[in-house]
Amino acid sequence: MMNQGGSTETIAPAQTNSLENWHILDASQGQTSSYFPPTTGPEAISWTIHQADHSSTSTYQYDYHTQPPTRNVQDGQTAASVPSSSSSLGSANVSHDYNGYAPYPNSTDPYGSSGYLGYCNSHQQQQSNHSSYQPQPPNHSSYQQQQSNHSYSQPVGAFQNTGAPYQPLSSFQNTGSYAGPASYSSTYYNPGDYQTAGGYSSSGYSNQTALWNDGTYTNYATHQYANYNPDSPGTYSSSAAPATSLHYQKQYKQWADCYGQTEVTCAPGTENISTANKSNVACPVPGVSGGYETSNSQTRPSYTPSWRPDSSSSDLPLVQPTVRISGSNDIYWHDGAPSSQVLLTSPMQSQSQKPLDPKTSYDSFQDQQKTVYSQGPSVHYPATHQVPQIYQSPMQTVASLDTQRVSKLQILTNPRIASNLTFNLPKIDKDSSATSTAPKPAYVSVSLPTANQKVMSDNAADSVLKTGMFPKSLRGYVERALSRCKDDTQMAACQAVMKELITKATADGTLYTRDWDIEPLFRLPNADAVNKDSFQCSTPGLALPEYKRSPNRRSKSRWEPLPEEKPLAKSASAVNNAVKYGGWMNAKERDRKPFVGNNESKENNFSGAKYSPLDQKNASKNTQRLVKKQRFADGFNAADKGDASGDSDKEQSLTAYYSSAIALANTPEEKKRRENRSKRFEKRQGQGQAETNHLKQKSAGRGNLYSRRTSALVLSKDVEDGGTRAVEDIDWDSLTVKGTCQEIEKRYLRLTSAPDPAGVRPEEVLEKALDMVQKSQKNYLFRCDQLKSIRQDLTVQHIRNQLTVKVYETHARLALEVGDLPEYNQCQSQLQTLYAEGIEGCHMEFSAYHLLCVILHSNNYRDLLSSMSRLSIEAKRDEAVKHALAVRAAVTLGNYVLFFRLYKTAPNLNSCLMDLYVEKMRYKAVSCMSRSHRPTIPVPYIAHVLGFTTPRNEGSDEKDSNGLGECVDWLKAHGACLTADNSGEMQLDTKASCSSLYMPEPEDAVAHGDASLAVNDFLTRTSL
Amino acid sequence: MAYLSMGEAHRRIADYLNRFSDAVSSQDGASLSLLLSLSSNSPSLLSLADALNLFQDTSRVIKQSDKYSQYTEIFIHLFRSLQTYRLGNLADAYQAFEKSANAFIQEFRNWESASAWALEALYVVAYEIRVLAERADRELALNGKSPEKLKAAGSFLMKMFGVLAGKGPKRVGALYVTCQLFKIYFKLGTVHLCRSVIRSIETARIFDFEEFPKRDKVTYMYYTGRLEVFNENFPAADHKLSYALMHCNPHCEANIRMILKYLIPVKLSMGILPKDWLLEKYKLVEYRDVVQALKRGDLRLLRHALQEHEDRFLRSGVYLVLEKLELQVYQRLVKKIYIIQKQKDPNKAHQVKLEVIVKALKWLEMDMDVDEVECIMAILIYKNLVKGYFAHKSKVVVLSKQDPFPKLNGKPVDS
Repeated sequence: MMNQGGSTETIAPAQTNSLENWHILDASQGQTSSYFPPTTGPEAISWTIHQADHSSTSTYQYDYHTQPPTRNVQDGQTAASVPSSSSSLGSANVSHDYNGYAPYPNSTDPYGSSGYLGYCNSHQQQQSNHSSYQPQPPNHSSYQQQQSNHSYSQPVGAFQNTGAPYQPLSSFQNTGSYAGPASYSSTYYNPGDYQTAGGYSSSGYSNQTALWNDGTYTNYATHQYANYNPDSPGTYSSSAAPATSLHYQKQYKQWADCYGQTEVTCAPGTENISTANKSNVACPVPGVSGGYETSNSQTRPSYTPSWRPDSSSSDLPLVQPTVRISGSNDIYWHDGAPSSQVLLTSPMQSQSQKPLDPKTSYDSFQDQQKTVYSQGPSVHYPATHQVPQIYQSPMQTVASLDTQRVSKLQILTNPRIASNLTFNLPKIDKDSSATSTAPKPAYVSVSLPTANQKVMSDNAADSVLKTGMFPKSLRGYVERALSRCKDDTQMAACQAVMKELITKATADGTLYTRDWDIEPLFRLPNADAVNKDSFQCSTPGLALPEYKRSPNRRSKSRWEPLPEEKPLAKSASAVNNAVKYGGWMNAKERDRKPFVGNNESKENNFSGAKYSPLDQKNASKNTQRLVKKQRFADGFNAADKGDASGDSDKEQSLTAYYSSAIALANTPEEKKRRENRSKRFEKRQGQGQAETNHLKQKSAGRGNLYSRRTSALVLSKDVEDGGTRAVEDIDWDSLTVKGTCQEIEKRYLRLTSAPDPAGVRPEEVLEKALDMVQKSQKNYLFRCDQLKSIRQDLTVQHIRNQLTVKVYETHARLALEVGDLPEYNQCQSQLQTLYAEGIEGCHMEFSAYHLLCVILHSNNYRDLLSSMSRLSIEAKRDEAVKHALAVRAAVTLGNYVLFFRLYKTAPNLNSCLMDLYVEKMRYKAVSCMSRSHRPTIPVPYIAHVLGFTTPRNEGSDEKDSNGLGECVDWLKAHGACLTADNSGEMQLDTKASCSSLYMPEPEDAVAHGDASLAVNDFLTRTSL
Repeated sequence: MAYLSMGEAHRRIADYLNRFSDAVSSQDGASLSLLLSLSSNSPSLLSLADALNLFQDTSRVIKQSDKYSQYTEIFIHLFRSLQTYRLGNLADAYQAFEKSANAFIQEFRNWESASAWALEALYVVAYEIRVLAERADRELALNGKSPEKLKAAGSFLMKMFGVLAGKGPKRVGALYVTCQLFKIYFKLGTVHLCRSVIRSIETARIFDFEEFPKRDKVTYMYYTGRLEVFNENFPAADHKLSYALMHCNPHCEANIRMILKYLIPVKLSMGILPKDWLLEKYKLVEYRDVVQALKRGDLRLLRHALQEHEDRFLRSGVYLVLEKLELQVYQRLVKKIYIIQKQKDPNKAHQVKLEVIVKALKWLEMDMDVDEVECIMAILIYKNLVKGYFAHKSKVVVLSKQDPFPKLNGKPVDS
């Protein structure tokens, strides 16, 4: 990898280099102009030539690629894939690409045998192009790459192809492992074809599906198709996606891009192309979310505009075909078509493209966005390995899941969907109308229609916020590129590369014209290894069985009407898993694997290295393993969970993405769920609708923060739903917010996600809030709650100053007053670090508390010793500390007289801490006295010594008598024997008491150990 | 040195490698350990370090011969450690040495099947690890970085302990590593971590404790005795520390002093007082006043002594032990009063009036009122330091006529 990296851009480290290389290559390839022209007509020729060359000689290809940039590369890829199938790689490839996939099917078998070579060749070419031109022998890895490339190229050429070729392809898939890839490409192409040729869409699809799934798969095919379309830009990913969830996601993301591309190719031709480019650009932008920091804002904005054009121009045509295909779809489309035309958002496009699963596409799109967003934010902010990983995994799993789900949902509840769609459309329209001028509207509309809640809105917001002018496809591209990154360095390198790319493109003016979707990604260093692994792993035999399996599952899940969403989700998840990993991959093992390899290299590059070993080990289970690994790496991806671990995991993953599905199916259950969920964030400003509003409001000013927050929210949502991801995984540092909330009172709610600036109070307000709490006459629970929320806001904003100390001190004192030791301990530990940082406060007072706490409540001599030895000289001179030390001495000696004297003279709240020890001390004292004194002790003396009564000279008689009575009660409660002497004075019979004393169970004991939290009491108290 | 030639550098390195492999092949643990003891500052190692600083491509030299390449991991990191050590970069030196030691342990596993000839070398490694870590931490702390090397050394030695803790001849070495671990844990203040090591040493029946080397046994007993002092388990502490004292090399006065530092308070709390010459000899004069106070029943002197040496006592962890001697001082005081009364009037001697005690305390400048003294007397009776009872009405301590002040005789005060 390193070597490769070094070649092209010489950017830097290995992985990064590879990425960069990719970009570079892409850039060169990316020159859309060259690309597109060929697509229309001459392309085939050029392609074929290239392919042939490639197939013939790897090095040769390399050269070609470099010269003809994108086209060549793609061609080479396609060629390679095609050639692989047949011995005559060059010619075959050409034919495949352009003529269709018919060659593919034919060649499928050859694929297995000779395909490798061809792939290798192509791969080499690709590699050379993409990465460092290393003349690698035909490796599996290379193969994979090629395949991925193929997929890319294929989509391009696929347009030309008709449905017929598709069928062959499908057959291929079934028959040979290699065929799988071919089929994939075909499927991809089909979308493209679809677009280009109206007839193709419906029939071709069905055919494909039949071939693939043996009937059941038809849906699948459609899905794939959809996926593929998007994928077409990033074909490999998309193709892989069908195979694996991962791929799916990417596909989805790419979807939009692909869409645009496909559309372009299909219909208007040049115009379409341009639109496609735009759309593509837009797509990449979402992907860019990975790029976020640098160019997010820019890219996203661009996203929307591009979409619109796309939708209007290309989407509509697409939509129509889809309509033809399926009645339900028709409905959708009809509803959506107008709207889509007007406002066609990315989701819309996807829908249109995916006739069967308009919603699915939509969902997928959303999902993609979500994933992107979540990933993006995570990536940006944490800027950690997790992010990229997360990104990848979410993308893959989620996307696939969503798409599947969506498809299912749609199928099941067509009316619903339709309604939803309509809903969405109108909303979109509104939005667009509202913000027709701005690019935002389109985006917003997208988010709104789905009403997929935050994700969408967030995405929209993000896009809006990051008002970039970057085309969607570019976003997708960036996304893809970043998604491959395994770690920070890679990410950074990738970002750098992409920055360069984008700046270059903008300088060239090709930013919008270039077909980013088709642009090959620069390679990651690990890609090769991964590819190799996957390649090796992939064996036709293994692949086939799995393939079959997965299709079946899919068909089931997708087409069978599921009564409930959950079941659906489960099945979907299962399907997804199977499909993702086993099914797709296996079915088209080689393709898949190549895909996988590609995916890994590109998407999973983060985790690519890990993956590769896995792949090697298990050919058939590669996918699953991969998923798992991703999981590990990601942790974030619910989808990942879903892989093989179990239903619950799957469920979780599904639920994670549920929201998107919810939007489509507005069942009451869903709504409830959503409500519940949103309630959790209530204080932070509510969610759902509120969020969208917020988005608009905040988007303008607080773009970054908001997007961050939203991303965090998304993440947190995942966490909630998935449960696996810990809140701790979120990098809070990166989520530091600046509060804007002006409310003084705020209830404490344990954060389960990133904080919402709108719900966080700035320092001035917090000061007021502290003041309010200090003056408040309300009960402890209220004040504790308020203080905790203040503490939370301080923490979230990283405020560590005197105010912080004051808040903690206030809270610690308050907790001491009511004997809430756990809360006190929290404050104390915070205070210690704050004092250690040199922030002024009542240090002495609290070191005295600390001493007392150690003495009285933790019987740990070493702690005591260390805290005593840590006391400074001036601390030892402090009244409070001296008192605490005296108390310690009294306790260690058992000097109860001294203890209660100190109790009476305790400074500050020392007495509160001593309070907690009083009972123990009294009991010790009485048992000591009853052992040592004979025959009796007067109770008044005991009452005096044990602090029941104040010293005689001070207290009034009345008070004393009260204390006396209390003492008598206490003694009786502890089993003391009391007698009255001649004068009527109560006496403690020491001899009798000696054996009868006992420690009574505390009367107010509660099972959970805190009487103040007794349910009844708690309820009465909280209803302030 | 300054004009070390390349050839000379190469020769030194090759020589070192040769000696290493010779030591291994001849199973010469002593000379092997010499080659590993980084902190010994032996001239041969220092000159090797100079050679290494000059000669960069050591890995090539190592790989030249199969003899050496077997230990490539050890050498590469060891050389790096030597280099950085020579340059005064202790943190890096530690880091590299730990890696080298890790490789060494791997090799050690292979060597040790039959005999334990390399234990000596392993000891050196364990020692070097600890010492380097301590010095590295000091360096890190000076540079304002967080010192964490000792912690790392702790976990590394734990790993080493795992290698040794099985059956066979290797087990003999386990106690040495344990002792190094103790030293680390006590230094870090993570004493609770000792427990698992102790358990595995004390519960292993396969190996009799007495079979461990004596020096390790002494060290082990010293540290476990200290742990018992922390736990205020005085009989056990007495046993362990006494064992350490008995077996300690009488010429190692520093070690004896360290043992006595803990043993004396333990003995004091059990009523056994040291002779003055002992304190003198081992420079433990800080205990002299304490002993004096115990003898005289001089509360003031005890408190004064405690205050004077508070820091020292707190640091060594015997402060609380010494503080508890107060009750014995009270006992002594009452006993003195009782003896004086007995001289005056044997019949009424067993009745000690409270005001007398208060007066005595006042004379000692201890300002305590009747209630407090009554409390103290109650505690004395309760803790069985005084036999008798207290009559509240008449404010008199009525002492038992038989043995009113029972001696502790090696038993701790009742708690």
